[in-house]
Amino acid sequence: MITTLEEKPHVPAAPRKRRVPGWAVGMIGVAGAIVLLSITSMQTGFPQLTSSGTTQTAVRLALPILLAGLGGLWSERAGVVNIGLEGMMIMGTWGAAWAGYQWGPWAALVAAVVFGSLGGLLHAVATVTFGVNHIVSGVAINLLGAGLTKYLSTLVFFPLSHNPRQSPPVQPFDTYSAGGLADWLGELEAGQRLFISDVAGIVRGLVTGVSPLTMLTILLVPLSYYLLWRTRFGLRLRSVGENPHAADSLGVKVYFHKYVAVIVSGGLAGLGGAALVLNPGQLSYLEGQTGGRGFIGLAAMIFGNWRPGGLLGGAALFGYADGLQLRSGGDTVLALVYGVVILLGVIVVYQLIKRKWFSAAAAIVVAVLLYLLYISLDEIPGEFVSYAPHMVTLAVLAVASQRLRMPAADGVVYRRG
Amino acid sequence: MSTSSSVRTDDPPAVVLTGITKRFPGVVANSDVHLTVRRGEVHALCGENGAGKSTLMKILYGMQPPDEGTIEVSGEQVRFRTPSDAIKAGIGMVHQHFMLADNLTVQENVVLGAEALHGIGQKARKRIIELSGKTGLNVDPGVLVEQLGVADRQRVEILKVLYRGAKVIILDEPTAVLVPQEVNELFDTVRGMQEQGYTFLFISHKLDEVRAIADSVTVIRRGTTVGSADPKTVSSRQLAEMMVGSELPSPETRESTVTDTVVLDVKGLKLMTPDGSRPILDDVDLVVRSGEVVGIAGVEGNGQTELVETIMGMRKAGSGTITLQDNDLTKLGTLARREAGIGYIPEDRHRHGLLLTQPLWYNRILGYQTRKPTSKGIWLDTDGAKKDTERIVTEFDVRTPGIDVPAAALSGGNQQKLVVGRELSGDPVLLIASHPTRGVDVGAQALIWDEIKRARAAGLAVLLISADLDELIGLSDTIKVMLRGRLVADADPNTVTPEDLGSAMTGAGSTSAAVQETAVVEEGEN
Repeated sequence: MITTLEEKPHVPAAPRKRRVPGWAVGMIGVAGAIVLLSITSMQTGFPQLTSSGTTQTAVRLALPILLAGLGGLWSERAGVVNIGLEGMMIMGTWGAAWAGYQWGPWAALVAAVVFGSLGGLLHAVATVTFGVNHIVSGVAINLLGAGLTKYLSTLVFFPLSHNPRQSPPVQPFDTYSAGGLADWLGELEAGQRLFISDVAGIVRGLVTGVSPLTMLTILLVPLSYYLLWRTRFGLRLRSVGENPHAADSLGVKVYFHKYVAVIVSGGLAGLGGAALVLNPGQLSYLEGQTGGRGFIGLAAMIFGNWRPGGLLGGAALFGYADGLQLRSGGDTVLALVYGVVILLGVIVVYQLIKRKWFSAAAAIVVAVLLYLLYISLDEIPGEFVSYAPHMVTLAVLAVASQRLRMPAADGVVYRRG
Repeated sequence: MSTSSSVRTDDPPAVVLTGITKRFPGVVANSDVHLTVRRGEVHALCGENGAGKSTLMKILYGMQPPDEGTIEVSGEQVRFRTPSDAIKAGIGMVHQHFMLADNLTVQENVVLGAEALHGIGQKARKRIIELSGKTGLNVDPGVLVEQLGVADRQRVEILKVLYRGAKVIILDEPTAVLVPQEVNELFDTVRGMQEQGYTFLFISHKLDEVRAIADSVTVIRRGTTVGSADPKTVSSRQLAEMMVGSELPSPETRESTVTDTVVLDVKGLKLMTPDGSRPILDDVDLVVRSGEVVGIAGVEGNGQTELVETIMGMRKAGSGTITLQDNDLTKLGTLARREAGIGYIPEDRHRHGLLLTQPLWYNRILGYQTRKPTSKGIWLDTDGAKKDTERIVTEFDVRTPGIDVPAAALSGGNQQKLVVGRELSGDPVLLIASHPTRGVDVGAQALIWDEIKRARAAGLAVLLISADLDELIGLSDTIKVMLRGRLVADADPNTVTPEDLGSAMTGAGSTSAAVQETAVVEEGEN
């Protein structure tokens, strides 16, 4: 039996049915959120929900979360779970304050990145070289970050500020506003017209009081995407997080890429710390300043399905919840509960169309409970309000964590050979 | 049988290995191995599991340095420190266990590590589409690898080595994961590429396949090359005896021991996918009698795994009943079903059968934590467990330094013997054996076959699932073919050939009187 094989006519299969592209989903999400907020603010009579002030605060508060989340993205895409983001962020806050009060805000950024990277380096040495469990190493770094900065601030800051828990004030960044545009938007916002005023308020919040750090952070999102998904280096880094054995068999330096990823991760978390220190409301290092934002950043990344765009959405959500409670207090947060009820209503309809009876029923129950809460309370107790971002984290992750896809080798210690 | 015209004897050989020796602490994996592969031929390397084939190929592919000996490629002596050196010399390897990242696209998997050739963008994509034709891969390079079937994944692996410009391709047990029809397609691909000047090193212990595809054969036994043969003249049996160095085991069972006593009775079993969109098991009726081995043939992913797991209670059936000797098991949990008398050899001993980091005696307790001799009342009986483990180690010839070593320290065959010994303890009435000899060496295979035959003669009912069609035909009293969640055909093991079974398994329809269709499969499903 002699088989002569002719080259088979090669027909590549039709490309997959391309669903709505990622950026379009993002735009639809943003538009939906604005519509939801403007309906809520009209129904409840709280224009603060979409005011420029709230937006501005939200942006400032979202920055550290976004940076921590980007840090998590880098590290986990290379297969290293980085629960030590919080500790690296704390190191970043100390570094930013130490350099910031002496040499100004740019030096603060550099020092924060260096200090955070040191934390990242430590995590890399432990998890990559010595094969320590990623969670154990991360927790250790969180403890170390808190302890080390406490010691250092007593040593360095106490003689200057006479307070072991606080640094001397740090010089802030100059901020920039789009002058004419902001004024025009201000007029629109003051007009109190449905949608238009809401959109104007949000956009005005985005273009006033912008610091170089804000711009840098926003730029880091597309930059991370480009580096991780569009370059050779990024492909190798992600392959290490998906299947290190395969990557190794193809000559990819697994340890090297993991090291780079975790160190960059630490640097980004440190930068997140700098964003806290350089926040116009504080402008100094404070003990306990991070308040779990490293963890929230990690949650934002998980919410964003280990992708930069989704991560940005998660950070915006958490920053908004945080900003709202800071600016406006309990009654406004309660108005947000009303918004959630509307959102649940939409989800119920969607689930009914998809014939998911159980999910629909669950959403109805939660919606009814929240609505009862809304009409029975005048304002959410202050003790609860300050936990709004954490509550949002909990709720969002509980709902979102079902269809997520983490890198396949995330958290797995890799040994060569 | 094959094309010899493309073999060029006058050129320097593609690969020559001379006197290769490799020692690991306590073992000599290769000693004084000699191998010559001519340019343009398909050269088969045969040997049992553990004979040292894989080590030899790792040496040739630069993953491990040899302690002694030399490697020549195209007449020039080379030293490989890493796989990249081997790739540069034009040697590529397709691993038995695929080295692919599921969540990356075909294109990303192919260009990874070789980005310098054509970048990672459009140019690379073009080159991949160009090369895909040679491997018979017919998918868009932008598709995620997780969406591909086994045969396509293998093509992606071949594509990877082609993309890097390999001229000598090592195929490490490439047919282990394929069904007969896919094997034929692979062989077509290999022959087509051979004509274009590629050289193949084909590692296998499936001798019929070796004889069908190879131009020459080298046999390796206990780490050393014991000879070579001409595949056109040598018989499978002769080859096998070279491999084993002695007489061969066979799965054949002699006389029927089937009785009339129904042990397992499955009626109308249904199971839906988790999202409820389509059935995984569709109205399965199955009877296993005392002393009978019922074999289930099917391409992987047609519901065999789910059938077994539903009978074991690891998955909850949508409807239908499962009866074991007049006990209704349908509502019971897995432990209760095991206590009712089911022994279970899982298809993946690492995932379901053993705790690899725990000692052997501890593994003996698993699944028997409520029964003698491993428990007394509410307490575990460690002494009893240890004693009984000793018994299994002796009776089932488990080669181990002791019963206190972790299960991971044993070779695959010995781990499997331990599992088989455990599952045949406690007098089960039904044994469910999922791929009982997958990935074990010939010796362990013979022992496991013997034990199953012995238990069958003593009246045990056996449900056998296997991808090894020779094993299935040899051991079974009745064979049923499973396709898309249904039992679609019965086959008579006395007359059916693997080819007939293969075509029934893929739904090509029965071509032989030995396969009787029992259900009509609607085309266009899935």
